[in-house]
Amino acid sequence: MPNFFASNQPQAFHELRKLSLFVDLNPREMKIVNGFMHQRRYLKDEVVFDAGEEGQAIYFILEGKVLVCPQGQSEKPIAVLEQGNFFGELALLDGDPRGAQVRAAENATLAVFFRGDFLGLMQSHALIASKIALQLARHLGLRLRGVALDKPAPL
Amino acid sequence: MKRERYRSGPFVWLAIIAATCLLLFLFQKILWLVVPFLLALIGYYLLYPVQQRLVLGGMSRDSSAVLVSCGAFAVAGGIIVLAFPWVSAHLVSWQDSAARYIAGGLRFIAETLAWAESNYSFAARANLSDQLTRKIGELGDKFAGTYLASAAMTAAAWFPSLLLAPFLAFFFLRDGWRFKMFLSRAVPNAFFERTLYLLDQVDYTARLYFQGLIKLTVLDALCLACGLWLIGVSAPFVLGLATAVLAWVPYVGSILGCLLVVLVAATDFPGDPAMAYAAIGLFIWVRLLDDFFFMPITIGRSLKLHPLLTVVMIFVGGAVAGVAGLMLVLPLLGIVMVLGETVGEIVTDPRLRARHVFAKRLRQRQVTRDLQA
Repeated sequence: MPNFFASNQPQAFHELRKLSLFVDLNPREMKIVNGFMHQRRYLKDEVVFDAGEEGQAIYFILEGKVLVCPQGQSEKPIAVLEQGNFFGELALLDGDPRGAQVRAAENATLAVFFRGDFLGLMQSHALIASKIALQLARHLGLRLRGVALDKPAPL
Repeated sequence: MKRERYRSGPFVWLAIIAATCLLLFLFQKILWLVVPFLLALIGYYLLYPVQQRLVLGGMSRDSSAVLVSCGAFAVAGGIIVLAFPWVSAHLVSWQDSAARYIAGGLRFIAETLAWAESNYSFAARANLSDQLTRKIGELGDKFAGTYLASAAMTAAAWFPSLLLAPFLAFFFLRDGWRFKMFLSRAVPNAFFERTLYLLDQVDYTARLYFQGLIKLTVLDALCLACGLWLIGVSAPFVLGLATAVLAWVPYVGSILGCLLVVLVAATDFPGDPAMAYAAIGLFIWVRLLDDFFFMPITIGRSLKLHPLLTVVMIFVGGAVAGVAGLMLVLPLLGIVMVLGETVGEIVTDPRLRARHVFAKRLRQRQVTRDLQA
């Protein structure tokens, strides 16, 4: 009998484990987080999200590259993100509009972590959520410091 | 640039109300499936926090769903097995009590009518007391033949479908999150985030509705129990709880609950009709509180519905689908409202539609790259 509800592929699980955001999670905790991940495939040039759109999810690049650019100006990218990076992380903290447009620079596979699931995780798995939140705070701190020192910071 | 938050217009709201009425009408036809589904949802939302605790403790979702369901089955089975001898032993006395309460209630009605006939000439001319006695006599003679057989047949027809409820609840616990993933895979990339939000909101609305229902039951039961205790009616908390559960069926359940309270009050104080009137007054006061205050602030607020719309939709539900409509209208309206608002938001967003068309064009170009002359 076909399994209509097959879960994410094991390859995605290994890719996610390498991400800085999940570095503190043990395998059991990582498995729980992986259960909330949605996998999406994007074709080259396809828009992942627009600037000004209400942010509902954070994206992890499992395969391929994406461009972060001002709305409609993909020829002037702010950053090119590769496998192992993530973007749209502020959506986990608030529903404020996205600051830039993101498009696939080449065919890409992304894992999507929805804000509602993260908030649910904070209630049901507070330890996991706090580990992710701490890493997120560190990541944002690094970016802030990078901006303050006027040098490129990892996105 | 910050987009203005979408607000549903009158056409979307009309569509939401029309869809709710249509669904109510259809659900009325498959009530045998809708009722176990609703019971399964209540079971799911009751057991879900326990399952979450087990997952937090390191158990997989599948194992925790099996354990929680087996635990719930064991508890329910244990209660039935343990309660069976006690119920058997008390069945005869309960039958006597029921007969006593019915007799007490009928005596109260007959005495009230006799008092009205002796004081008012129009009541005497209507001869209600005799008519009532004759009707009750006829009902008693025909009851077994006319109603008992059909009631037994209805119960037998409903029993297998009600057995579905625990199995549905088990699969909701085990596969609910997989089903959500499965549904989301069918959504195009352009609408994905909005759809995730929609699924989350549907789940949130249903959870708040059932939590609101439990809060409402507790509030109703406490208010009525305190009132009955103050006027001295026996078993106030059992009566309060029974009438609060009956009130899950708006209006019809309230009438049955009122009858129950009057029967008990009239039997407890046979020579004192004032006590029965006090119980009726108390009941009406609690119902008014429930319909116009408690329900809008518990269920109505959980669904983010305007109190006026809540009350109007209860009447509409009753008119479209009878008792089933009264029960189903609010949860259904809540879910249709979230779906309607989100679909309205997506359909009226030209940018999302344009992105979807663009993605389709990219896909077409990719799959036909080697086919072009």
